[in-house]
Amino acid sequence: MRRGTVHALVGENGAGKSTLMKILYGMQRPDEGTIALDGESVELHSPADAISRGVGMVHQHFMLADNFTVLENVVLGAEKLHGISGRARARIKEISDAYGLGVRPDVLVEDLGVADRQRVEILKVLYRGARTLILDEPTAVLVPQEVDALFDNLRELKAEGLTVLFISHKLGEVLSVADDITVIRRGTTVASVVPSETSPRQLAELMVGSELPSPETRESTVTDTEMLVVDALRLTATDVDGVERAVLDDIGLTIRKGEVLGIAGVEGNGQAELVEAIMGMRDPDAGTITLDGADISHAPTRTRREDGIGYIPEDRHRHGLLLEAPLWENRILGHVTEEPNSRSGLLNPAAARRDTERIVTEYDVRTPGIEVTAASLSGGNQQKLIVGREMSHHPKLLIAAHPTRGVDVGAQAQIWDQIRAARREGLAVLLISADLDELIGLSDTLRVMYRGRLVADADPATITPEELGSAMTGAASGHLEHPAEAGSEAATGAGAATGGEDR
Amino acid sequence: MRRVSTIAVAGIATAALAFSVTACGSSSEEGSKDAGVGLAYDVGGRGDHSFNDSAAKGYDKALKDFDVKGKELTAKDGDTDADRYDKLASLAEAGYNPVIGVGYAWTPSLTKAAKKYKDTDFAIIDSVVDAKNVASLVSAEHEGSYLAGVAAGLKTKSDKVGFIGGTDSALIKKFAGGFQQGLKDTNPKASLDVQWVQVGSAKGFGMPDRGKDIAEGMLSNKVDVIFSAAGGSGAGAIEATAGKKGTWSIGVDGDQYYDKGLSQYKNSILTSMVKNVDGSVYDFIKSVVKDKKAESGVQSYDLKRGGVSLSYSGGFIDDIKPKIEAAKKKIIDGQIKVNDTYKD
Amino acid sequence: MKKLDKERVLLAVAAPVLALAAAFVVTALVLLATGKEPFNAFGIMFDYGMKSDSQVYILNKATTYYLAGLAVAVGFRMNLFNIGVDGQYRLAAFFAAVVGGALKLPGLVQIPLIILVGMLVGAMWASIAGLLKVYRGVSEVISTIMLNSLAGILISYLLVDGRLADLDKQTNIVATDPLPSSSHFFTIPAGAGLDPIWGFIVVAALAGAGFWFLLGRTRFGFDLRAVGRSESAAQASGVNVRRMVLTSMVLSGAMAGLVGMPTLLNDTHQFTSDFPTGIGFTGIAIALLGRNNPVGIALAAVLWGFLERGANRLEFEGYDKEIVGVMQGVIVLCVVIAYELVRRYGLKRQQQRVGAELAAQASASKGTDKTEVPA
Repeated sequence: MRRGTVHALVGENGAGKSTLMKILYGMQRPDEGTIALDGESVELHSPADAISRGVGMVHQHFMLADNFTVLENVVLGAEKLHGISGRARARIKEISDAYGLGVRPDVLVEDLGVADRQRVEILKVLYRGARTLILDEPTAVLVPQEVDALFDNLRELKAEGLTVLFISHKLGEVLSVADDITVIRRGTTVASVVPSETSPRQLAELMVGSELPSPETRESTVTDTEMLVVDALRLTATDVDGVERAVLDDIGLTIRKGEVLGIAGVEGNGQAELVEAIMGMRDPDAGTITLDGADISHAPTRTRREDGIGYIPEDRHRHGLLLEAPLWENRILGHVTEEPNSRSGLLNPAAARRDTERIVTEYDVRTPGIEVTAASLSGGNQQKLIVGREMSHHPKLLIAAHPTRGVDVGAQAQIWDQIRAARREGLAVLLISADLDELIGLSDTLRVMYRGRLVADADPATITPEELGSAMTGAASGHLEHPAEAGSEAATGAGAATGGEDR
Repeated sequence: MRRVSTIAVAGIATAALAFSVTACGSSSEEGSKDAGVGLAYDVGGRGDHSFNDSAAKGYDKALKDFDVKGKELTAKDGDTDADRYDKLASLAEAGYNPVIGVGYAWTPSLTKAAKKYKDTDFAIIDSVVDAKNVASLVSAEHEGSYLAGVAAGLKTKSDKVGFIGGTDSALIKKFAGGFQQGLKDTNPKASLDVQWVQVGSAKGFGMPDRGKDIAEGMLSNKVDVIFSAAGGSGAGAIEATAGKKGTWSIGVDGDQYYDKGLSQYKNSILTSMVKNVDGSVYDFIKSVVKDKKAESGVQSYDLKRGGVSLSYSGGFIDDIKPKIEAAKKKIIDGQIKVNDTYKD
Repeated sequence: MKKLDKERVLLAVAAPVLALAAAFVVTALVLLATGKEPFNAFGIMFDYGMKSDSQVYILNKATTYYLAGLAVAVGFRMNLFNIGVDGQYRLAAFFAAVVGGALKLPGLVQIPLIILVGMLVGAMWASIAGLLKVYRGVSEVISTIMLNSLAGILISYLLVDGRLADLDKQTNIVATDPLPSSSHFFTIPAGAGLDPIWGFIVVAALAGAGFWFLLGRTRFGFDLRAVGRSESAAQASGVNVRRMVLTSMVLSGAMAGLVGMPTLLNDTHQFTSDFPTGIGFTGIAIALLGRNNPVGIALAAVLWGFLERGANRLEFEGYDKEIVGVMQGVIVLCVVIAYELVRRYGLKRQQQRVGAELAAQASASKGTDKTEVPA
């Protein structure tokens, strides 16, 4: 890596990117080989070591204390540098201005959006004197406009002579911001390329080592049979101040057999709550949910699962896996009452183990065995296991929340293939994703969610990611036809937000 | 594979235990009887400023006077009868004679030990074990407490008197019952406030801070004489009355006026209901070691025998001595029959 | 597969062995600091603990401890800290003794009845904490500690001459009516001149087997363990977490109800004011030591009994009896630390192996891959 450049590291999940990151940040020790910093060979024993040598890391999952202000979060653990008040504030202001981060030191972190939080994370690292920044999938949680802003920040950093190491799956982004690109696959460097001499397609093929998949699904398999009908669904929650507010308001949607309904929206606009209401993890205050003709509005989660809802959760660590349990126990999770996992109240570990072996083979879960804990698998392989598990029970409805988040291109293609295959056989899919290409490519129908409401709908055949992105920020509503009309339709379309071609 | 090995481990462990029970030799053999005196304290042991210390005093004196050796063991919180039996059996087996159990909690274990070690002379304090080789050293706490009640009834100015018991056990209720009766017989107008430091647990004998809290609560309700039968917790009550002018404490078990740990408060210790456990322990050891004719059966240490008494240390109740002595005479003569339990 | 399992077993055994070794070293240092010779002390404990009457004592003690360990482990398995086993078993034993003392049915009917009463009372008392947690969000740690206190107060209110108990004026002991001799549990003779082994050890073994089966082989057990590992994942998988909290609290309480039974049915045959206390807390240590595993808990219970037996002897030999308390405390601390260390090490090993496996796969297919890479 050269000083004053943005260097991108791309590769499949499990290719060794995270391990490399951990080594560079002193969280893991290498068995062999050396790291040279400014021409000097160094050994990094701990993150503190790395920080002292000017290497800083911004993690994929933010590590901020919500109930602290930005200032407090930044100085936390670095109190010795510039104290905790006046001097610290001045320094933060200085850094923020120098790199155009626009950070306000006295706002509570919980009041910040994702993009702002990310800037705080970057500031935190700079505050500690980092000259080399490692960013782990920084764009995964951002909408296109926010990504552009982030890239502006990165260019600013670069101009000031800092070095940025950037990890991403999104190859278009990589090409637009990076000066150099290193591709790694299965633990080794397979290529070093310059953006001007390559295309996203070439890059992806380097990553997977084979032809590239695409999420496009054009032949329609939508039938007339309604599988999931959600009508006038309302869910309220009480926030920390004791104020009751609606997190889901008058939600209505229908998914037919063989249809993929995609929901676009910036995270935190009610998508998670909608999923939880359909899964039965939250009890709706009003409205009905009908699955295959049966009212399940208030049925327990287990009944819904037995009735044929498959669930690929957004946060697989919190909702999809028992991290410390072996793979075969994870195969039972969520389907403990169903064959082959159990029979008349008793578990059948032998059958569950056999079936886990099958899933591991069929879904290409890369693991040395089914007795290892789920935690020891890489994110993509964990996700493949979950998809395999949910598909093994032939669901009628699949709820897929960010099914390919943090998953490498190879696994992504597999997961898309499996969703498409199941769709052909009549599966109804509710797809929630922050990856707009995935949404547009996979969905038969698109809806946009904003502040707990479905405010707009669009035809995936004609819409562009940019149009969708602007609708997600609440700038447009109603039926999204063409970019020019989107803005002006906002006022008139708001009232008719429930109307859409899928009703 | 993993499952099999788990079961195997379980099986081997069980089998090993089962076999080893019969494999080793028994540890129970009775040796000679000249190792000295065995004393088993109740929870708290030597140094509790109260009941156990009182027994220790008699034991120390006997060891010195008769030039014998001895061994002391102490029960701990949570000991079962099997644990207690183990201690007594260890003493008997090692040849200690006599073996004394301090406190009624030794009853079941001592009953069992006496049956097994027939050649050992046992004694139990505050309880009765019906066996030929056991002396049951019981005191008439209620009789002594009656006299304390008389003193309190005469000395109170507010006609409000308090009683603090370590716990609501039958033994402590004996103190409370006698005290109540003595108080009412002397001063019918006086009211009695009874409180327990810790209900249902012997821990109440070792919580001086709680004792002080309770006493301060009573004092703020205008109680001016407090009798504590609460072991170490009583020290807290004594401290509390020392902090308020014109209020009195009544000590228990030993003569607490002379207790070194309480010397700074001694001027608020009206009197003490002395339970001469040291005397009964000394007498019993003497009967075995010196007289070679062990006491057995129930040895009642009542007012008549001097097993309980009211102390005049400090001279605070010298003015009412005639009335106390009169009451004492009536009890000894049988004119007054003292309640041996307390009912609220 | 086989290699993996061998390593797992090794790791599982490593923790307790490591912990015990560390505990002995620390205790030896403590003994040295008090000016006593440590190995002599260990020798005394070992010699005495192996004697046949000591073995009977240890087994009988371990029976009670085992049940206490199981009761705590039920909660631990789903991240519930039932500190209230202590109050639950005392209250259970008390009411079981009252019912047992009042009836004169044939033993075959009455013994199961007494046990059932015990389990029911334990379960009900524990369910208070469960309900409070589910409906009011009260931490079970706090509520069970308070319920322990309340149980003590309730017992001493009822265990009074004229209420549910009688006072023996001679011995000063307040006790419930003794169980009829037909309700005494059977015992296993251990040999001439020895106390018999309590027959309740059979029930304890059955309880252990039941525990293993319920948790390891039933849907319910899977759900319970899932909640313990990740409440959110369990909820998403369809477990009603609130009901599970309540159920496992009740189960833990029912198991706690058994803790006092060996003492009641095999030993004292009545509930007295000096019925053993504090076993619930011992159970916590034993469950920790035994890793919430039925076999592990059994070994821990036996070890605990052995240590206590040794303590009695050490005191007699002129050592401070507190040294065994120190040893027990140190063992628990060492165990917690050792398990965590071994767990982390195991996780790291596993990740390394997964990495190695993938690297192997990669190198195997490297030749073919290379050709596909465009220049």
